Amino acid sequence: MLEIKNLHVSIEENKIIKGLDLSINKGEVHALMGPNGSGKSTLSYVLSGKDKYEINDGTIDYNGKNLLELDVDERANEGLFLAFQYPMEIPGVQTSFFLKTAINSKRKYLGQSEMDALEFAKLMKSKAEELNISTEMLKRDLNVNYSGGEKKKQEILQMSMLSPKMAILDETDSGLDIDALRIVSEGVNKLRNSENSFLVITHYQRLLNYIKPDFVHIIADGKIVKSGDYSLALELEEKGYEEISQTA
Amino acid sequence: MELVLNLDKIQSKSVSQYAKDILDNQNPYKNFKIENYKYAQLHKDVKSEILLRDIDFSKLLDNTKNITSSISNPFDLTANLNLWNYNNEDSFFRVSSLVKRETKSVNLDTFNDRNLFLDISQINENIHISKSSTNEINLIILNSKLNDEYPKSIFLDLSNNSKLNVVHFNVSNNKSFLYFETNLQDNSYFNFISFQSDNIHTRNEFYASLNQECNFDLYGLNINNYGVNDNYSFIQHLKPSSSSREVFKSIVEKGAITNFQGKIYVDSIAQKTDGYQMSRSLLLDDISKANNKPELEIYADDVKCSHGSTVSKLDDEQIYYFKSRGIDSEIAKKILKKAFIVEIIESIKDDMLKNYSNELIESLLS
Repeated sequence: MLEIKNLHVSIEENKIIKGLDLSINKGEVHALMGPNGSGKSTLSYVLSGKDKYEINDGTIDYNGKNLLELDVDERANEGLFLAFQYPMEIPGVQTSFFLKTAINSKRKYLGQSEMDALEFAKLMKSKAEELNISTEMLKRDLNVNYSGGEKKKQEILQMSMLSPKMAILDETDSGLDIDALRIVSEGVNKLRNSENSFLVITHYQRLLNYIKPDFVHIIADGKIVKSGDYSLALELEEKGYEEISQTA
Repeated sequence: MELVLNLDKIQSKSVSQYAKDILDNQNPYKNFKIENYKYAQLHKDVKSEILLRDIDFSKLLDNTKNITSSISNPFDLTANLNLWNYNNEDSFFRVSSLVKRETKSVNLDTFNDRNLFLDISQINENIHISKSSTNEINLIILNSKLNDEYPKSIFLDLSNNSKLNVVHFNVSNNKSFLYFETNLQDNSYFNFISFQSDNIHTRNEFYASLNQECNFDLYGLNINNYGVNDNYSFIQHLKPSSSSREVFKSIVEKGAITNFQGKIYVDSIAQKTDGYQMSRSLLLDDISKANNKPELEIYADDVKCSHGSTVSKLDDEQIYYFKSRGIDSEIAKKILKKAFIVEIIESIKDDMLKNYSNELIESLLS
């Protein structure tokens, strides 16, 4: 699915990612954990294709394609999805209209006809219900005056409607209360299947109680310093980043 | 420069003769230090090679009563002159429309229809529009395909308790200067929306005098224009407890210049006035210009007045967010432009007019 080799990234001369390797196969869930400033969010932005980041070295292969050559919207339409840590507020654009435009953009890219309005309404309603999102909220402007938890739910709603092949969740657990965390995690777990993959970026082991990863990686200073299974997350919770990074 | 109109003199001469005397004294086209005309570039011959689009209004005509040919009665403005604040330095521009044109009138109470259509580009005279009934009427004012050097005045007189909604389509004009002079009597309600698109050189001035407990909403939308497009407003709260709300939005591109200058004036006896003014411009490139100048002049001490003004560009972070969901940047930009102005379209009360305007704006947004 995703093969990152020797990735070096800088922003305005500051080196952020310094030789990162990561390989994610179909059907796998990987967790990426690390302290503040270790390069977690930078990696998620680079994967989604945000500009301002300079790729100094390395390759990213995505399903046989050179990911770095694709524009942001092409990556999305090829099935890559980034659930943002801080979703943008878009005043004047109704949430449901945004969802419809996104779905139809993907369908157009794939050479399919636009989704029928009724079919869309049904899909949105069922997915929103799963995430405990009210229909009233779908009529509001996208993310405007949403609470932190509502914004994160909205990201997961977009994800479940676009059913990506490779989803990256950037600190989706931050700002969520226990109930919202459970609902969001259930939403993610429902999407999991043998054909798609997840990269879950988080500070805390708590999220991984709900979304059980196959692999856990620890990132420090722009590199993956340790990889393991779920037990690594537990060990990390106990010892903290500093000790784990040193013993790596 | 001081210009004081003497009403006695007006009474003894024809209105247009008096106006002509003033204009002969001080030719406004030679003096561009006047604050209110600083950016309007009226002395310049603004031209564009662009072939202006024909915008089809037939669908709107099908749903409204066309009253254009009903404008026939000559109207004597002399008695109205003391209603207007003509004694400031920029008055001669307004007065100048009285030199070149006669004034004709229409009383909206004579029609039974709810939606009226008036094509002022078909009429050479100034137009005096009055309304005294309390039923709510939608008046569409079209001004299109004009290439007119001289200002034209549209006088709107609303009697006590009357209600009027105007939707003004100012589109595809080479040159057009319009003066809307509104007088709102006690408890009247006036909602004015001006859509301005595909113009090369236009100026619209909105004057409103508010008496007791009336309400005036003025919305403006300025998109896809070329050359210089100028809006000026002067809203006077003359009696207590009136409210005014003014919102102008402009999307400026292709080297166009858009100007907005608006003043809210509150007389010393106009306590409990509630005034709001906002002008926002979205600049799409670095060769276009937006000038915003909000002004407040308040002499009462128990009022609520606020104003704001912004100039911004499309937000790269928002475009990135759209793209991250598979929406290409061209579509994202169009949606964001629409989002910037949707508030103006939403302010239309009548559903038919709102839907029509929405479709029209959608098609005009490039």
